[in-house]
Amino acid sequence: MSGRPPGHVLLRLGRGSFLVHRRALVVVVALAVLLVAVVVASLCVGESFVSPVEVCRVLLGRPSPDRLVVGTLRLPRLVVGLLAGAAFGVAGALIQTVARNPLASPDVIGVTHGAGAATVAAMSFGVVSHNALPYLSVGGGLAATLLVYVFAWRRGLHASRFVLVGIGISVALGSLTQLFLTKGDYLVAQQAKVWLTGSLNGRGYDQAAPLALVLLLALPAALWAGRAQRSVTFDDDTATALGVRLDQVRLGLAALGVVLASVATGAAGPIDFVALVAPQIARRLTRTIQIPLLSSALTGALVVVVADLLARRLFAPIELPVGVLTAVVGAPYLMWLIVRTRSRSGGTTS
Amino acid sequence: MSSSRLTAKDLTLAYEDRTVVDGLDLEIPDGQVTVIVGPNACGKSTLLRALGRLLKPRRGVVLLDGAELAHVSRKQIARTVGVLPQSPTPPGGITVADLVARGRQPHQTWWRQWSEEDERATTEALERTETADLAERPVDELSGGQRQRAWIAMALAQDTDLLLLDEPTTYLDIAHQVEVLDLIRQLNHERGRTVVAVLHDLNQAARYADHLVAMKAGRVIAQGPPRDVVTAELVQEVFGLASVVVPDPVTGGPLVVPGMAWQPEPDDDRTR
Repeated sequence: MSGRPPGHVLLRLGRGSFLVHRRALVVVVALAVLLVAVVVASLCVGESFVSPVEVCRVLLGRPSPDRLVVGTLRLPRLVVGLLAGAAFGVAGALIQTVARNPLASPDVIGVTHGAGAATVAAMSFGVVSHNALPYLSVGGGLAATLLVYVFAWRRGLHASRFVLVGIGISVALGSLTQLFLTKGDYLVAQQAKVWLTGSLNGRGYDQAAPLALVLLLALPAALWAGRAQRSVTFDDDTATALGVRLDQVRLGLAALGVVLASVATGAAGPIDFVALVAPQIARRLTRTIQIPLLSSALTGALVVVVADLLARRLFAPIELPVGVLTAVVGAPYLMWLIVRTRSRSGGTTS
Repeated sequence: MSSSRLTAKDLTLAYEDRTVVDGLDLEIPDGQVTVIVGPNACGKSTLLRALGRLLKPRRGVVLLDGAELAHVSRKQIARTVGVLPQSPTPPGGITVADLVARGRQPHQTWWRQWSEEDERATTEALERTETADLAERPVDELSGGQRQRAWIAMALAQDTDLLLLDEPTTYLDIAHQVEVLDLIRQLNHERGRTVVAVLHDLNQAARYADHLVAMKAGRVIAQGPPRDVVTAELVQEVFGLASVVVPDPVTGGPLVVPGMAWQPEPDDDRTR
């Protein structure tokens, strides 16, 4: 018999050895294939239909009569959606891991509300140029989380207190945002409203670039995080006994999640519920003990791209913000989650 | 007393502003089974947590091989001292094999996730605790005794010279209690592992300990071989209980028999 953790494949590379969860690997490949299909479909559909063959030609950089429509009009927006979805997915996975609670997500613990309040304030009072908005949003998200962290810290970080304080601060920031909206110019307020729902309309490479950069920088960190996730699934004493520096690990994982969620919010607005739902879907697919990071990223991207496709076409030519669609699906899910968690007598392990 | 790799000097432990252990000195004898006993809230579990660096001392130090625990990295400590907390929580849905494999964590890095040594230690831990048959079962679905064996297997897989166990027999029926204690004894005997356990039951402590430490209100009242330590006076002093200490009919060691149970007065005519 083997002592190796069940369901894993062992890879040896020189002196290194890596455990790969077999089912998680299959899920990642399947999700990737599905994502490519949805991306192509999304590029085909619009005011005019473009054949998949032409879409692929454009994607591969070949000359095509549909280059303008696909490459210039549809693709940049899609790229923002993909990256934001992936970032939200990973952010949610990390924050749910640290909080040990499937209800936790950047939407809940103040990140997106902080980003929202900062952006709306800037828009309403017109203090900065439009290009600086994403950076402001990141700053707002980080500041809000720092605030939550400071209030929730008491000789260490406790998951339930973190979530409760986060909800409180989120509500406060939400009210602040409303205040900014009423103080600002009417037209700007309209724009800000759309941004607050989370929309990919008019987003392009300007928004995608910082997001892509952060995701790229976060990749090595995610490698570490995937491993560190294992240790925070135990209770504090057991994890500490296994040699884990719990406070540092939690801080590192949460910080990574917060940065990703803030940057994604800066690029696409707070697309509600993606960060909440994607990791839970991913985990149900892989059936791993930890929330899988790569599958969460792919699921997040898939959810946003599909939601945006529907948002564009359902009531065409009227286009809905993608956040409306994710909210319509996400809100009932959140309610179901709360009811189920309660009926299991407060069992909060994700 | 022989040498001691784990010692506490002038140790003061507190939660918030409540002092639980005050100026305690203790040497854990190497290669022996040390059992800490005492009434509820006497600080025995708190002491164990401090010995395993789960709790930072308010004052004083815990020394491991002469080095202050506070100055040794957690990972380094975890390679030498294993701790099984009182009520550990497993990650939801985890199987026994996966749980036991996680005991290897302090020996692993992200580029060395599974070595030959990990394989050997985990397999051995599963076999020694007879949990190999349960390997594929989720920990949540096990009986109390099986679950405790799985946790002990995890602590064994960690492969440490010292093992600290906080009430490893709580919630177990008497047969499973004996099973777990026998396992601990066997591990100590076969590998010369130093074991420190907090136990509730004084008679079990007397039977299984080489070295018994009796605590009350955050202080060590008496320590030494159970034969020397367990007396009617000590039981009175530590637990405030009148008792008779007789020779254990099985081992010949001390056996504590509590004084007479409550009875009605002879002239009480409400009972017949």
